[in-house]
Amino acid sequence: MAATSSSSSSSESNEANSKWLDAHYDPMANLYTFSSCIALADLHGDGEYKLVVGDLGMAGHTMRLKVYRGTGLASESTLLDLPAAVTTFLMDQNEPRTPAVAVASGPFIYVYKNLRPYFKFTLPPLDANPLEQDVWEQAKEDMIDPLTLKEMLEGIRDKAEIPLSVRSLRFLAQDVPEMENFVNLHKGQPIKRQTVITCMSTLKKNMADEDAVSCLVIGTESADVLILDPEAFTILAKMTLPSVPAFLDVMGQFDVEYRVTVACRDGSIYILRRESKRPKYCIELSAQPMGLVRVHKNIVAGCSDETLQGYTQKGKKLWTVYLPAPLMTMSLLDHKSRGFQAVMVGLANQEVHMYLDKNLVDVIRTQDVVTSICFGRYGREDNTLIMTSKGGGLIIKILKRTAVFEEKDMSLGPPVAQSIRLSVPKKTRLYVDQTLRERENAVAMHHVFQMDLYRLRLMAARAYVKALESSLAPITSTLQEPIKMNAVVQGIGPTFKLTLHIQNTSAGRPSINLLVSFLYDQSLYAMKRAFFKAPMLVPGLNYPIETFVECLSDKGISDVIKVFVLREGQSMPLLTAHINMPVSEGLAAA
Amino acid sequence: MGLFDKLAGWLGLKKKEVHVLCLGLDNSGKTTIINKLKPSNAQTQDIVPTIGFSIEKFKTSSLSFTVFDMSGQGRYRNLWEHYYKEGQAIIFVIDSSDKLRMVVAKEELDTLLTHPDIKHRRIPILFFANKMDLRDAVSSVKVSQLLSLENIKDKPWHICASDALKGEGLQEGVDWLQDQIQAMKT
Repeated sequence: MAATSSSSSSSESNEANSKWLDAHYDPMANLYTFSSCIALADLHGDGEYKLVVGDLGMAGHTMRLKVYRGTGLASESTLLDLPAAVTTFLMDQNEPRTPAVAVASGPFIYVYKNLRPYFKFTLPPLDANPLEQDVWEQAKEDMIDPLTLKEMLEGIRDKAEIPLSVRSLRFLAQDVPEMENFVNLHKGQPIKRQTVITCMSTLKKNMADEDAVSCLVIGTESADVLILDPEAFTILAKMTLPSVPAFLDVMGQFDVEYRVTVACRDGSIYILRRESKRPKYCIELSAQPMGLVRVHKNIVAGCSDETLQGYTQKGKKLWTVYLPAPLMTMSLLDHKSRGFQAVMVGLANQEVHMYLDKNLVDVIRTQDVVTSICFGRYGREDNTLIMTSKGGGLIIKILKRTAVFEEKDMSLGPPVAQSIRLSVPKKTRLYVDQTLRERENAVAMHHVFQMDLYRLRLMAARAYVKALESSLAPITSTLQEPIKMNAVVQGIGPTFKLTLHIQNTSAGRPSINLLVSFLYDQSLYAMKRAFFKAPMLVPGLNYPIETFVECLSDKGISDVIKVFVLREGQSMPLLTAHINMPVSEGLAAA
Repeated sequence: MGLFDKLAGWLGLKKKEVHVLCLGLDNSGKTTIINKLKPSNAQTQDIVPTIGFSIEKFKTSSLSFTVFDMSGQGRYRNLWEHYYKEGQAIIFVIDSSDKLRMVVAKEELDTLLTHPDIKHRRIPILFFANKMDLRDAVSSVKVSQLLSLENIKDKPWHICASDALKGEGLQEGVDWLQDQIQAMKT
């Protein structure tokens, strides 16, 4: 049923270019779980990997440990309490190498071998508050009534540094008539304070191999991180954190060197190392952590402010990615044969995004909001993606053999060139002094600049008005007579050839009755005709008018000759051109 | 071919040689099937996962088969296409109990059928829906549906349910393949 339902699913339109094959989709699988309660392992040593899921069930009952083989449920067993984490690990070197399943729930770790209960580990009890113990001691001897007990416990709860035991807290939550019974029922037993497990992971004991013996690493509500011996279940190491751990990531080997990265409920990530009782590095996140993944050596944390943040293993921030929707869960995609690692993020908008560093490389649309993601070998397929959804569905996808994730970003955003670092030269002393000066006198400098700018504009405007009034420009300003003129001087002297190019730029009206006049210093230059009539100017054509100018001076000086184009009967020129005459060289040579 | 070879061919002494590719996912039973088709004195007892590929030979009543038994493991599947040119027929083996990886088998089949060396040739494809003895195996009709074999229009194909451990269904398939090859040659 499931295989056919997947082939008829709605995502068929983009199936051709998708990187994933829809292997199985069962919307009614009744699996309610998170990424921490899901694991893949070759439980029977037959080369076929199974899926182990700690099912949280509905409304806090029907918690089960389920094992899937292929598309079907292979076995299930009831769990006593809600699972906090499920992981698989090899306990010993014995053949066949069948891993054990560890289920953390409450203060216990239940270890299953061959899917049968094998061992139960209990966290060591914590010291109870002595004041609380005294109060209960008095209650036991009937020295105080339940109401006094309640008041005294409330007093301790508000002030004491060591929190109350579960029994006292439950007592305080009782209604007054039931208190008597509660006290009588429980007063005989000594007070115990028990912590619970919040997260669990594994750490290789002394070999880095895939099938090496692993220790369990657990984080507890009492803000401790414990490392357990795989066979004896004794505590090998204990480290204390400033806050309650929520997500754990462990790398290395216990006997050699290891590094525990812990995302805590105070919105910080702490990094612990071998032989360190306290955190070595601390990363303060911008919001509460929603997930923690290690990609190669870098840490990627998903936060509740819809961001994904990358850090180095020493806590230096590398990048931030803004997600389009709130983050639900995250997990690592480890494509071992290609050495490719990416982060998979399940979002509240029914999408799963895949990030290679900060680049979005793939998006999977799902039919429901994904609450848990697990990538690894399942059955006989190496690159299988297993997801469970909010509505209890199970989605299995297989990465195509030919799929290639391009390292370039497929999301729209600033171009790549923007992130290229420019080689900015070092700041010089002069530069620093200048910046200081500019910072101090910013207002005055701006005033001066503005003043100069206004002056410049005024001067430009004046000059323009003057040019317009006296028609000094070589282009006419009147619309009736649009004429353009330029002049070219040729020759080296003493005789120069002066060519005026006059053009009528109007659309269709010829210009007639135009006069051309030259104004020059008569002691310097001589001209055959200093005043003549221009021919009729047909629009668009260029009229070259040539005249000869003779230089009279032999002193190597030059002057300006002004050319005016005038309308007959008007003294105001239509346009004016100033010709800078060159120095006559011919005479000097002669 | 010399005169003597021709004569031998007519007399049925020398059989025609055909090259066959045996493809399919890992653990589908390719090597087991080929092993079972060999004469009983040449069969091996323990079958291990094939690395790369191995060349096996066996004879039927009129043909001499040379089978390229390719490894089905993911990392060796890119070797397949280098042998497409030489293949005159294809045997594609499917583990009919592995419902999860039916999509992977379909994907590999589609890649095979669209490969330029295969696409325009009319070569017969024999499908073995293997492991029929297992309890959770699906029927051969269902397998052909899941692989959408009905879309193969330009090549003769045949699917038969098989159990390579006991040898059931293998002879039926090989007989069909032999008929197809002889029909193509004449």
